[in-house]
Amino acid sequence: MLYSCAIWRISLMASKPHRLHHLAGRTELSTAKRVRRTMTTQSSISEAFTNYTDYLNHLNEKRERVVKASRDITINSKKVIFQVHRISKDNREEVLEKAEKDLAAVTDQYISRLVKELQGSDFWKLRRAYSPGVQEYVEAATFYKFCRTGTLLHLEEINSTLLPLSDPSLEPLQINVLDYLLGLADLTGELMRLAIGRISDGELEYAEKICKFVRDIYRELLLLAPKMDESFDMKTKMDTMLQSVIKIENACFSVRVRGSEYLPLLGSDNSSSFLLGMPDIEP
Amino acid sequence: MKSAVAFRNAYFTISRSLKPSLNRSLFLFSLHSLPTFAVSPPPSRRLRPETFPSLSATICSSTMAADEANEPPPSSPSLEKQFESFRVQLDESGSLRERIRAVVMEIESTTRLMQAALLLVHQSRPTPEVLEKPKAQIGVLKELYNRLAEVLRDCPAQYYRYHGDWKSETQTVVSLLAFLHWLETGNLLMHSEAEEKLGLNNLDFGLDVEDYLIGLCFMSNELPRYVVNQVTAGDYDCPRKVLKFLTELHAAFRMLNLRNDFLRKKFDGMKYDLRRVEEVYYDVKIRGLTANDDSTGDQTSQGQPQVT
Repeated sequence: MLYSCAIWRISLMASKPHRLHHLAGRTELSTAKRVRRTMTTQSSISEAFTNYTDYLNHLNEKRERVVKASRDITINSKKVIFQVHRISKDNREEVLEKAEKDLAAVTDQYISRLVKELQGSDFWKLRRAYSPGVQEYVEAATFYKFCRTGTLLHLEEINSTLLPLSDPSLEPLQINVLDYLLGLADLTGELMRLAIGRISDGELEYAEKICKFVRDIYRELLLLAPKMDESFDMKTKMDTMLQSVIKIENACFSVRVRGSEYLPLLGSDNSSSFLLGMPDIEP
Repeated sequence: MKSAVAFRNAYFTISRSLKPSLNRSLFLFSLHSLPTFAVSPPPSRRLRPETFPSLSATICSSTMAADEANEPPPSSPSLEKQFESFRVQLDESGSLRERIRAVVMEIESTTRLMQAALLLVHQSRPTPEVLEKPKAQIGVLKELYNRLAEVLRDCPAQYYRYHGDWKSETQTVVSLLAFLHWLETGNLLMHSEAEEKLGLNNLDFGLDVEDYLIGLCFMSNELPRYVVNQVTAGDYDCPRKVLKFLTELHAAFRMLNLRNDFLRKKFDGMKYDLRRVEEVYYDVKIRGLTANDDSTGDQTSQGQPQVT
């Protein structure tokens, strides 16, 4: 016992620290507990810190992987959102079909990578690492769904599509309420862009439908925002959201009031110029 | 918040039952009043007089559109139901958090008692009597951590959701326990020993390794002051012991691959503690105040257990 301990100590002095935990960490780990009982200070401190090093390395590597997955999810969810924005009166079906395919690809390829990383307490421990990606994914999924059916995609529905990703031995990845709500808050920004685009295209009814939907979401979130875990993020999002709602309302207003003069002539150039004429929305 | 809910409900029931003409004026009323009492005003509030006329006009127009198209009432029932269930969930986690905070406040005041009692080591040699009082508090801490674990028993996987609520208090606890342990035995308190002292070793609720390491850094901050006061009180051997201990601890920390986070920052601070202790040791040694046999007891050549 003591002998192996001594050898180990020599190897500690001889090799560099980062090599050490590969070399000695693995072989000596099993004896760590027994060694500790003898309490010779130097070796037991190093021994214990070898364990901590392993723990921290493992955690940091995992966090890196999760951050990477999150970034991939963000990038590809953005692509879905842009795809949905290409919608217009005539190409609705084909645009949405492609968006659906892209979204499914994000789920299969990238969300699935999170599943095995986020078992047990890691789900909350690493939340900050994956939260941006998941929010963007929620945004893309709900955005697509709204354009498809005009309704809100519920959290339960998203989570049920995630169930088949994991094999039965693992606990399934389930998006939590907080990320869902933060994603919804971002959704209104996209809906605002969509609404403005639709007005430019002359689809005023559609824009008004969006307007109503966004108001509903804003009203619901207003009640939930203060109850959320780190409500500061949400507060800034709520402010942006209100700005989006007002922008849509003002755009609808412009068309209602002055639109009768423009409507037959509506082209993208004209419409953007009268929207820019609104004095009071832009900060 | 309650009044907001009540208001909202009332507004829905009324708006559903009223005729379109009344409906319109109610919308006007609701959108004027709702943001003012429930939203914290954004900085752009100065624009309000300008914004609102156009806003209300918009509402008129879009409600007209809704009426004309015979659309369903404002929000669909399933949408409301989902948010209702979120509200329940978030309320639950909020009350859980309150219970956690109540326990954590007690932990905080216990550590304060410990800290105050432990400060006496700076005024005299660490006799067993001085350590007795802070040691008695360990039992209290154990009890409190058990209660904390009890609060989280139903959701062990959510440990890190609420971790922020007890993180800094726990780091202080570790620093005190480690200091106490060192004063008693001359050894470093290991992670598993710390867990044992707090009664956490066989629960889902454990001691986070990073919290433990940060706690050790806090303890190291305490050592320079201790050395200075011990020397003043006439214990000239103390700097050697502390220097040996701190050198080992610092060397051990250098084995860790740290990220740019709080732990890294605290570890970077540790070298100043080390330097201060080295200075004191030098001051004492250069004046020949240390006992002669110490010259062989240099910490690099000797790996013997520490004498206390």
